[in-house]
Amino acid sequence: MPKQLIIDGKEITVEDGITLLQACEQAGAEIPRFCYHERLSIAGNCRMCLVEVQGSPKPVASCAMGVNDLPPNRDNTPKVISTKSATVKKAREGVMEFLLINHPLDCPICDQGGECDLQDQAMAFGAGGSRFEENKRAVEDKYLGPLIKTSMNRCIHCTRCVRFMTEIAGVEELGAIGRGEDMEITTYLERGILSEMSANVNDLCPVGALTHRPWAHNARPWELRKTESVDVMDAVGSAIRIDVRGREVMRILPRNNDAVNEEWISDKTRHVADGLRTQRLDQPYVRKDGRLVSASWQEALALVAAKLKAASGDRIAAIAGPLAGAEEMFALKDLFHRLGSTNVDCREDGAKLDPAAGRASYIFNSTIEGIEHADAILLIGTNPRLEAAVLNTRIRKRWRQGGLAIGLIGEQVDLTYPYDYLGSGGQTLRDLADGKHAFAAKLQAAKAPLIIVGSAAIARTDGQAVLAAAARIAVAATQGKDPAWNAFNVLHAAASRVAALDLGFVPAKPASTGVDSFVAAAETGALDVLFLLGADDIDMSRLSKTFVVYQGSHGDAGAHRADVIFPAAAYAEKSATYVNTEGRAQMTAKAAFPPGDAREDWTIIRALSPLVGHTLPYDSINVLRAGMYKAAPALAAIDRVAPAEIKAVAALASVKGTVKDEPFRAAVKDFYLTNPIARASAVMAEMSALKKAAGKAAGLAAAE
Amino acid sequence: MGIFSEIFSWWGGNTWGTRLTIARQGRFVGSDSFGNRYYEQLKGVGPEGPLGRLRRWVTYTKLADPSKVPPEWHGWLHYTVDTPPTEERYVAKPWQKPHVPNMTGTPQAYRPAGSILAAGQRPKATGDYKPWRPD
Amino acid sequence: MLLEDKDRIFQNIYGFHDSGLKGAQSRGSWDGTKFFIDKGHDWIISEVKTSGLRGRGGAGFPTGLKWSFMPKADSRPSYLVINADESEPGSCKDREIMRNDPHLLIEGALLAGFAMRAHTCYIYIRGEFIRERERLQRAVDEAYAAKLIGKNNVHGWDFDFYIAHGAGAYICGEETALLESLEGRKGQPRLKPPFPANVGLYGAPTTINNVESIAVVPDILRRGGHWFAALGLPNNTGTKLFQISGHVNRPCVVEEEMGIPLRQLIDEHCGGVRGGWGNLLAVIPGGSSMPLIPADLCDTLTMDFDSLTKLKSGLGTAAIIVLDKSADVIKAIARIAYFYKHESCGQCTPCREGTGWMWRVLERMARGEAEKSEIDRLFDVSKQIEGHTICALGDAAAWPVQGLIRHFRPVIEARIDAYQAAHKEAAE
Repeated sequence: MPKQLIIDGKEITVEDGITLLQACEQAGAEIPRFCYHERLSIAGNCRMCLVEVQGSPKPVASCAMGVNDLPPNRDNTPKVISTKSATVKKAREGVMEFLLINHPLDCPICDQGGECDLQDQAMAFGAGGSRFEENKRAVEDKYLGPLIKTSMNRCIHCTRCVRFMTEIAGVEELGAIGRGEDMEITTYLERGILSEMSANVNDLCPVGALTHRPWAHNARPWELRKTESVDVMDAVGSAIRIDVRGREVMRILPRNNDAVNEEWISDKTRHVADGLRTQRLDQPYVRKDGRLVSASWQEALALVAAKLKAASGDRIAAIAGPLAGAEEMFALKDLFHRLGSTNVDCREDGAKLDPAAGRASYIFNSTIEGIEHADAILLIGTNPRLEAAVLNTRIRKRWRQGGLAIGLIGEQVDLTYPYDYLGSGGQTLRDLADGKHAFAAKLQAAKAPLIIVGSAAIARTDGQAVLAAAARIAVAATQGKDPAWNAFNVLHAAASRVAALDLGFVPAKPASTGVDSFVAAAETGALDVLFLLGADDIDMSRLSKTFVVYQGSHGDAGAHRADVIFPAAAYAEKSATYVNTEGRAQMTAKAAFPPGDAREDWTIIRALSPLVGHTLPYDSINVLRAGMYKAAPALAAIDRVAPAEIKAVAALASVKGTVKDEPFRAAVKDFYLTNPIARASAVMAEMSALKKAAGKAAGLAAAE
Repeated sequence: MGIFSEIFSWWGGNTWGTRLTIARQGRFVGSDSFGNRYYEQLKGVGPEGPLGRLRRWVTYTKLADPSKVPPEWHGWLHYTVDTPPTEERYVAKPWQKPHVPNMTGTPQAYRPAGSILAAGQRPKATGDYKPWRPD
Repeated sequence: MLLEDKDRIFQNIYGFHDSGLKGAQSRGSWDGTKFFIDKGHDWIISEVKTSGLRGRGGAGFPTGLKWSFMPKADSRPSYLVINADESEPGSCKDREIMRNDPHLLIEGALLAGFAMRAHTCYIYIRGEFIRERERLQRAVDEAYAAKLIGKNNVHGWDFDFYIAHGAGAYICGEETALLESLEGRKGQPRLKPPFPANVGLYGAPTTINNVESIAVVPDILRRGGHWFAALGLPNNTGTKLFQISGHVNRPCVVEEEMGIPLRQLIDEHCGGVRGGWGNLLAVIPGGSSMPLIPADLCDTLTMDFDSLTKLKSGLGTAAIIVLDKSADVIKAIARIAYFYKHESCGQCTPCREGTGWMWRVLERMARGEAEKSEIDRLFDVSKQIEGHTICALGDAAAWPVQGLIRHFRPVIEARIDAYQAAHKEAAE
């Protein structure tokens, strides 16, 4: 039942269950706060949000007082609340004064300067000066890992970091010890925090107590140019903001997108920023006498064109890697098609996916937001904590609300929430598919079950059978329930995969040909040209008898083997379309220019096309996109998910095949080194080494 | 400075107004090796400074440029110390260089290393990236 | 006129008699308890309301009214929690009850628990009260053995009584911090609303009462609410355990009627102020959190809630600390300020930062090393803490400072003058 309130003289109607702070914001009043955060539990301990409520002798903490808890007026008139009265002003000035008495005068050397809540609110709501003449207290700095720089003198004990680590990251490693003015926020253990979401506390901290260590003393926020973009480190497609100074990407921060990543990004998404500066391909290379020498664009393009013209359609192949954008894959497929070749594939890991089976057979149908409506989740051969850390946080968020049954088949790992470990391999999956396992009953009883298949499970030789079994479980679990709810979900690990499948970047016979057959052909000398679009995960040692062209942004395994290297732009340097695992098309934006002579990927392919005699019909990206949207309409739905036809799942379920007994393995071995950009980043290398060392430490393996 | 320039210009040396103030309120304290003259306000004459501070000022020989004040007079002029160099016995250290005012705008102006107007190597900039090299 | 023995509730407060079950029964405990239980929940609550009993833990909230907030029907179990974390400086009455007359407490808990439909009672005892806890545990064991409490007891209301103890934090005497500590977490107060009667221990409806409040309940029921209401003053009814300490000749704990004049209390029971009534400087009437009352206002002062509120102080736990003219009042309040700084839990900003600030300023003022303008500044700071905190510790820290400045400003100013005079030569 909506409630009436009079806030600052304005009468408004608010819905039940919200806090007074939210009601005041709806009325247009700006309420200062430090400890309150919409996505965390209410602490009510900074006391900055005090407002005056009619009939209450003391000011009331608006973040903690629900509108329902306000004692009603005797004559049933709406409660009068003031956020601008003299009491409120004095209260705010008082609290601000208390916050500042022990806060060090670090603004000139503090990284938070310019984007500091304390600075902003002291200017807006504080008293003019300080009356404090005693000594300030000092606190020792704690070691929280290589990503979090601590300067605990500045801590104002809002406990946002503690609440985030406990509630959202699920790693209870931060806490407050001590009492009174000796209270200190610390990790009880003398080691870094082991969570893939740990760096989010740096965003949450309203002051400079917790800042980003890799970016310490690098830049001030006002000198950075901010660009809204999308992350490609995993298939979640988190919304990010890329801060650039000049040509250099200084940092990557999260953007709010309630449907995908809420307000969080994983540590990998955030700290690959320094990977964009190292190991960059900035000029074309051509292999002469077994050694790579730098060449001009004309030379490199001419050489590749000659090789492509000389080969027949069935002797050339292309493989797209995990960071390839839809535009360049569309252009490449177009070019190869005109050259008479259908040998293109995006499934570097050998996933048994076929876009012809229907879109619903290869996307996360329930959507990430849909996880919050689920009441039973089955994880098959996936470790969402490492493959899609933000999605894992969403599952944890749902688990915290209670009433969620989670079962896992595969590797038994710590996912930050408890689950029923059903088994490690195919036997369990077969039992579930046949309805024989106990967990099947939980799925049946659930109103909104969710089945998630990981990419490693699909990449096995029996991947088709695994998919079919999972589809069968999904179909059986949704029998007779809400027809709009699609329980079948595939969790990809590569950002380019879904777009590639939407574009049909697979060979003509996807079940029997693919990356494996290309590499096998290359090994025997049956392949003349292999075009790698940022693909580094294939076995380069088997390519000695073929001509390898590598187009990418970083010098990884592919560049070492290549005969010709085309330097291309990374995701922060081009506007490209990526489709996340839900099937949501999102566009990155160009935040900086690629280094040296590197160009945007699709332009390289366009420049190659006239030299092979098949000029591609688009000279601008808009024309390319028009063609692309005709070929794959799903890519035109930017920032939206068009629900896919559920009959694809039923069709998948009817595919024959037996799941083998082998245990399911994880797709991601090392969270921090999964793609070329991450492998080039020093911060990621440090984190990877730290995690390995922590894993070896006695007794701490269980905490992992 | 010539009488003419003293009336009409104000960017160097004295003006008539300055001469009047010096005559009425000022007490000559000393001059430095460049010829700049230093004065202090007479007690009880002219506007009072906070806590009874007496004003100190300098008149320059040619162009008025505050960076011309040498270090020994700088402390006294800015009220950092109370003893003018005339009253202290300071012997210059052997490594002390002669005072040079700000050279901006002159051919001797400072240019950073690697600038086209100077010699030297340009230091590594933050926008630089580490390129991949095949070896 | 002093309290007559016939109206006394705590007949063994000095421990002269047997504190065990037999002794308690000989003094009237457990007599007719079943009779009251049969009368029903609401009868007990209305009898306590009639008695006008106000909470004896310091806040003085009407106890019967507090019990009536508990739900009549709820799927969650109701709990009675007894606050025996007696940490207020000056208070020492609850320990006497627990070690000398524990059965009054246990019987009171059963009756109070029944009134609010609670089958379980937890008592949270201050960690330092080891012997008191042992005595109470012995009494509880006796009551269980005699089937006076426990499952299927003789009274027809299943009732379990558990003793838990703290570990040395004053803040755990705050009711929601006490619940947090009972649940095994850090003793940091919760935000109110929701109130404990709604969401309390383990999220269930809970009432927290002081030891003395519960211990007087059996006698109220046995002798009638009207009897209790006839004692004391209107709206400040009944008897109270006063604890007088400080500069008196015989400090003691004594049960007296509410509203007894302070002078009579001190002269009759404590042998008077050291050096005579004229030697009195000030009195802290209700534990260290209450603002002090200077001697000139003590002449006509009666010890009840309302009179003291009129003087901008409070009765609190009736722990009277007497200061005679030999006391350095500024140093005394500085020491009290240090207590609050030490005991602050650190959760909310005004208390965490402000208590330390006030203590440091008061320490300087005790030496005179301050400016006169700092007196008003200190008052302003205390006003900034008061009312802006999560729990009442902020108020408790602010009030003594306000009392000092309100009544003893000349002393502070004289101290400052003396210091500046003594140090003038150094500045020259």
